[in-house]
Amino acid sequence: MKKKIKTSRILFYIAIAVLVVYILAPFLWLIIMSISSSTDLSTKPLSWIPKKVDFSSYQELLHMGKNTHGESFLFGLRNSVVTSFTTVLISIIFTFPAAWVFSRYPGKKNVILKIAIVTFMLPPVAYALPIYKTLSTLGWLDNSFALAFVYCTLVMPFCAWLTKENIDAIPFELEESAIIDGAGLFTRLFRIVFPLMMPAIGTVALLALLMSWDEYFYAMLFTNSNDAITLPVVIANLASGRQANYGLIATGGVIAAAPPVIIGLLLQKSLVKGLTAGGVKG
Amino acid sequence: MEVKSIIFINCKQCLKKMEEDISNKYSILITPMVFIMLTVIGWPLIRTILMSFTNEGLMDLEPVKIVGIKNYIRAITNNDYLSALKVSGIFAIAVVTSEMILGTLVGLLVNQPFKGQKIVRALLIVPWAIPTVVNAMMWKLIYNPEYGALNSFLYQMNIITDYVSWLSTPSKTLGAIIFADVWKNFSLVAMIVLASLQSLSKDQIEAAEIDGANALQRFKNITLPHILPSLQVALVLRIIEAVKVFDIIYIMTKGGPANKTRSGTIFIYQEAFSNSRLGSGATYAVLLVFFILIIILLYMKLLNRKEE
Repeated sequence: MKKKIKTSRILFYIAIAVLVVYILAPFLWLIIMSISSSTDLSTKPLSWIPKKVDFSSYQELLHMGKNTHGESFLFGLRNSVVTSFTTVLISIIFTFPAAWVFSRYPGKKNVILKIAIVTFMLPPVAYALPIYKTLSTLGWLDNSFALAFVYCTLVMPFCAWLTKENIDAIPFELEESAIIDGAGLFTRLFRIVFPLMMPAIGTVALLALLMSWDEYFYAMLFTNSNDAITLPVVIANLASGRQANYGLIATGGVIAAAPPVIIGLLLQKSLVKGLTAGGVKG
Repeated sequence: MEVKSIIFINCKQCLKKMEEDISNKYSILITPMVFIMLTVIGWPLIRTILMSFTNEGLMDLEPVKIVGIKNYIRAITNNDYLSALKVSGIFAIAVVTSEMILGTLVGLLVNQPFKGQKIVRALLIVPWAIPTVVNAMMWKLIYNPEYGALNSFLYQMNIITDYVSWLSTPSKTLGAIIFADVWKNFSLVAMIVLASLQSLSKDQIEAAEIDGANALQRFKNITLPHILPSLQVALVLRIIEAVKVFDIIYIMTKGGPANKTRSGTIFIYQEAFSNSRLGSGATYAVLLVFFILIIILLYMKLLNRKEE
């Protein structure tokens, strides 16, 4: 009996070990590639451990120089930050009051929310063609703020839905007692509900930020120069060109993945809770 | 103004006041959001539908003519489009099934107590957090026929004798992309399952154990019903993403080799932007939306029937 338990325990730990290798190996290999010299990366078959640690790819990508990889990478980094923060700011400001109405006054207006959720499920190509035409007519192609506005297509329905689910969890009695004290609508909204919602809105904002940081399709269509091109597009261009410097490509990937991975590791619990909060109840 | 006291009263007057407040002011609160959504979602969607009945081009070189349902007839008889839809379908079914199974198994595995549990659980978020573009590019490097890690590894383990071109052998490419997508997204399912398992009470399982239920019975009668709602959430999230797949395929293969991995969305993109035919591109897009709406409706119907 005891032996049986022991073998099953060993099998269990083997399974865990396989899982850990499966999760980590690809990303660790990307990190190793980013600090390997190009000679180490072009031996056949590969030598897995680099002979010397080589940070030249990082130097190249993080160095500003005219018409270098560094230039487009750093501009991409800046544009990604500007675009995603603008998107999240617009989305939160406009969806919070609306989500409150959806939560507290679930009447016919919730049709709007339902339509929004359905649009969230449709592919971006369904909107992209006319948006391209409009942006090009207005001369707004290659513009970070226009791109942020377009990102609202993806992010706003998501924020509205998740914020509404979170407001549902705040007891209405709190607002009732405020009404007795004579509070008006805006006092209730911004003095009572909003402070209680701060952690939830933080999570929603973070998820929305990751979504915008990840976006590739619209960015590829609507941007093409250092003025607005985002990091995913820069990296995809690096990877698709006749670029033979694999270390450089890997470095771009590691730098772009670092912020979301670090945020994820630090805030895993609230992110997962935020993601599932909506669906589990609704 | 601060809340002085939280009094629990069923206050009809309050509710009435609230109703009045809202009916006066709700429009102010919803309008800005609705306005933005109409500009970035509503209007483009309508324009896409209108466009699909015209021969509109990418540049305004020729005057736009209305061509009626000609685009639609061409679309549903276009074998290239149908095989692109098939690629989307195969991709979606393959990744969603694998991710749900693998994710559930991993969730169950990691839920058992063991040393280092906290670290392993934390690591689960790494694949999910890596941006799709980085994931695609990472696997493209791993699959590289000359200097890729996969070939090197398989060669050194004596599993293969010749290097394989994973992304340019038609029979292997879609599988390779599916593997890359599963690696990133199984972790979402696993985290959702794990979160749900943690709210399962141990007493219930122990009681069943005393009653003599074996592991499989315990899973079927207690664990599975408990995590089912969460699994449904994960399923919906994954299906929505998988049927509109674009990024990962486009970065890894651009739809090749020989269009074997060209998904519906890539097909539409090429028609509109490479062939400069917005009109017929819009037609393909409208049809794709139509198919996705059918999937959503079917799913909702299935859910309703279960609840009844």
